Amino acid sequence: MTDAPLAPADFEARLRAIGTERYHDKHPFNLRMHAGTLSREEIQTWVRNRYYYQTRIPVKDSAILAKSGDAAFRREWVQRLHDHDGRAPGEGGLEMWLRLAETVGLERADVESLAGVLPGVRRACDAYVALVESSDLLGSVAASLTELFAGDIMTTRIAAFEKHYAWVDPEGLAYFRSRTKQAPRDASFGLAFVLEHARTRPDQDRCLAALERKCEILWSLLDAVEAAHRRPVLSPHVVLRDDAERPGQQIAVLPERGVRVNESGQEILALCDGGRSSEAIARVLHDRHPEVPHLLIDVHEFLEQMTRLGVLVLR
Amino acid sequence: MSGARLWNLIAELTYRCPLRCPYCSNPKEWASIRDGLDADAWARVFREAAALGAVHVGLTGGEPSARRDLDAIVRSAAEAGLYTHLVTAGVPLTPDGLATLRDAGLRSVQLSIQDATAAASDRIAGTESFERKLSIARAARELGLALTLNVVLHRENLANVGALIEVARTLDADRLELANAQYDGWALANRDALLPSREQLEAASAVVAEERFRALRPELVWVLPDYFSGRPKPCMGGWGRRLVVVAPDGLVLPCHAARDLPGLAFWNARERSLAECWNDAPGMNAYRDEAWMREPCRSCVKRSEDFGGCRCQAFRLTGDATNTDPACALAPQRASLLDARARAAPTAWIARGVGAQEGN
Repeated sequence: MTDAPLAPADFEARLRAIGTERYHDKHPFNLRMHAGTLSREEIQTWVRNRYYYQTRIPVKDSAILAKSGDAAFRREWVQRLHDHDGRAPGEGGLEMWLRLAETVGLERADVESLAGVLPGVRRACDAYVALVESSDLLGSVAASLTELFAGDIMTTRIAAFEKHYAWVDPEGLAYFRSRTKQAPRDASFGLAFVLEHARTRPDQDRCLAALERKCEILWSLLDAVEAAHRRPVLSPHVVLRDDAERPGQQIAVLPERGVRVNESGQEILALCDGGRSSEAIARVLHDRHPEVPHLLIDVHEFLEQMTRLGVLVLR
Repeated sequence: MSGARLWNLIAELTYRCPLRCPYCSNPKEWASIRDGLDADAWARVFREAAALGAVHVGLTGGEPSARRDLDAIVRSAAEAGLYTHLVTAGVPLTPDGLATLRDAGLRSVQLSIQDATAAASDRIAGTESFERKLSIARAARELGLALTLNVVLHRENLANVGALIEVARTLDADRLELANAQYDGWALANRDALLPSREQLEAASAVVAEERFRALRPELVWVLPDYFSGRPKPCMGGWGRRLVVVAPDGLVLPCHAARDLPGLAFWNARERSLAECWNDAPGMNAYRDEAWMREPCRSCVKRSEDFGGCRCQAFRLTGDATNTDPACALAPQRASLLDARARAAPTAWIARGVGAQEGN
């Protein structure tokens, strides 16, 4: 026996409650953005990384389109592709995001190359596409329902940028403005679809779980952006010593483990002085070794791993 | 010898200890094993271990601070280039004594507590010690030493995992080892009383997952015990592969419990170099690598990850150390472990050192 389905009003209240509790407008990074305390570099890191999320939106919307056998649904949903991709080059949400990137001082081609996307951001965004791809139509539409909460955050964000980040040209905020209109429209269609098609309690529970998961993904994206501006430093409990067996290599010895560090790792650790952020360290090395592919990603991955192992602590 | 690379020396300085924990991992005949190495002999062992590649020494016991020459021992370990890690029950160590050890080169402390409150912890330890342990934890923090708390978990304290995490947070420990009891030595004798139920473990597991989500510190070490996971533990990272134990009498062993496995000859660091004892003792080579394995281990894809589990456990539960550890779901003698799980129930335990052992 499964439980009886929730009444539509109760189901909707449960969906909205997930936003109240878990939507990323409450993430510390967004709170700081809206309070005006982010540095220029932090804004740039966010814009650069969030662009990867923007590129994944039409990919996941295409996947959702492909799940539907209903022409009326597809006619409605395809609007999202047009919104993001535009009808012609130079139009659409992705283009508007690139203009935002230029406005905050980033190189358009650099952002488009995705070279600076943090590993944690890539994981979060790819997890979203994978969630949609592995869900049925109902579950994937439910995961999109964070749009229910997006209109408000865009309004807050525009006000915050105008007030606190006057160095950003208001022209660059066009994307946020467009979303204040699109998100509520998209959300009302998505919500009506979910309320109509989630008829059993297990289906409703699936929808609630998908929306929760989506909120977690957005949250972890900001976790990664935030961590990139923490400043790693060698743990006071670590002893770095030479590895007698492998010339040139070192071992970072900790109370409970030893970690082998090769010459590239040593070069990265040498920059972890507690003054530079992870992002700054990655940029220094990228400038030092422009010929090495994927260096930004590799440096961030190394710093993440060393932090997890306790070799580095974050300031 | 392929794959063998010594990383870690476990120096059991003495089996003496003021605590009487019913799951002590020391041999049951601990009282007859004397402290055979003086500080100079330990200094030689440390140098020889470093020469073999070791980077780390765990100074343990028994209770290492029961030795009056502990500061000299710590100094020689640090001088040998080893990362010095003290595994202590916190008594008879004092905060001043810990400061002396820090000055001698100590870097890290692993402090045991037995439960989350003084009454419960002291009852399991068999002696009043909890408040003194807390003073050692605070001293470790003040002295800038790395601090790990270790709690052996069993039926009587498993429900207190949340409270134990709170204690570790209050003390600002870097790491909390929630170490489910290993059923050898005293713990095997007391298994019926100590072995928890699956429900207890699942509840504790959920608490750990929630607390890991809530905060990054302390690092929480929690592994589902082998009696319940269906997978054998990669005991000591493989026999004679990464770690060496030197017992208080100088015997060089692949683990703290291998001393009384039948038919194995181990050598003594008082009589030979550590390199000889590690490389060439017949006992040390008995279960190195994979040639000794039987089916199902011999052809198992996991054999290079779990090494067939624990040789001592295989011997205690099946009578033959070359059998697959019954903790493995594929072990032919699996029933011996399942029977023990079915027998577990609240009952009295025998405290270490009391009764037959100490009375004799």
